Amino acid sequence: MTDLEVSLVVVSYEIARELPRTLLSLAPPYQRNCPRGRCEIILVDNGSARPPEAAAFASLDVDLRVLHQENPTVSPVAAVNTGIAAARAPLVGVFIDGARLASPGLVAGALAAAALHPRPVVATMNYQLGPALHYEAASHGYDQAAEERLLADIGWPQDGTRLFDVSTPEFRAGEAGPILESNGLFLPRALWDELGGYDPAFTEPGGGVVNADALIRACALPGTQLIRLLGEGTFHQFHGGLSTSSPDKAIDVLKRGAIAYQRRRGMPLRTTRTPGWLFDARTNRRRSA
Amino acid sequence: MDSGSRLPCDRAQLRSWMIDYITAVLAIPLETIDADATFDSYGFDSVEAVVMAGVMEEEFGVPVDPIQLFEHPTIADFSARYASEEAPAPVSPPAS
Repeated sequence: MTDLEVSLVVVSYEIARELPRTLLSLAPPYQRNCPRGRCEIILVDNGSARPPEAAAFASLDVDLRVLHQENPTVSPVAAVNTGIAAARAPLVGVFIDGARLASPGLVAGALAAAALHPRPVVATMNYQLGPALHYEAASHGYDQAAEERLLADIGWPQDGTRLFDVSTPEFRAGEAGPILESNGLFLPRALWDELGGYDPAFTEPGGGVVNADALIRACALPGTQLIRLLGEGTFHQFHGGLSTSSPDKAIDVLKRGAIAYQRRRGMPLRTTRTPGWLFDARTNRRRSA
Repeated sequence: MDSGSRLPCDRAQLRSWMIDYITAVLAIPLETIDADATFDSYGFDSVEAVVMAGVMEEEFGVPVDPIQLFEHPTIADFSARYASEEAPAPVSPPAS
């Protein structure tokens, strides 16, 4: 019997179109080197009008639990923390936005990266499907229908690595450059406990910049090592999310988040600029910045 | 802050505030900042510019539209455009 090694906490809210693909991308056989039993998925729905049920995903060859967040609010923080609390594996990956597809080696890569250090903070890299970041998508004629065609064109999910061919990275200065956040943040269970999970003070819609805050705080814990997972990634599906629907909204959400962060932390929000260790999941080796 | 309004500080104060902020965020020495160089030339990206707009708004108590930082993408340009008019020079007391 395979030992449970990693829990994936996925938060959903009104993403009925995107969620089945997300879950498929996190389950074997799409996920390589991840036989049943090695990984569990904890889906926490944060108040969707028609919440997802486990039965809808029964065909997936993965241990999946579906939880419905009690008293859901506009912030996903409580749902994230519910998922972390329910996680049973020694390594826990948080996907605060359940509308993200994973590349096929992401889970095994995160496990390999986490094994490199006793206190690892494994950050996966963010991409968005399509020719531009989604807040600019409309000006490129990109919408959900275009995304369906895009995925069909690359034959997804047969070869998930082709997601890289049809996506736009969220990081502008290369894989070792500044990152604001990681959607797919993996920490050992004990480190999540030490961190106290995501901070419930972030009550804003979408949690504001809580995901950036979690990365910053995790990297600031004593003795932790940031490890960027390269060669794999998460890929945002177009769904009109708070920070991805238009340039004005994206800017407004970030600015409001920055103001709330400044008030809360007494310091400006910063991108994570240290490259940390760069681990290439495709070669299973560390790479220099 | 719309394109017609200004921050309640003079140009030198705004310039100094921006230099202090950017050097602190980027953890770089003061002398590496060229006020006439674009923000991205020393690695201050658009995300950080939006964050700076929020912090500036908190600091000076007036709304700051991040778009103005993109349209005036140097410290010198932005501070010239959005600082209040230079404070008047102190008047010398009359000779008696």
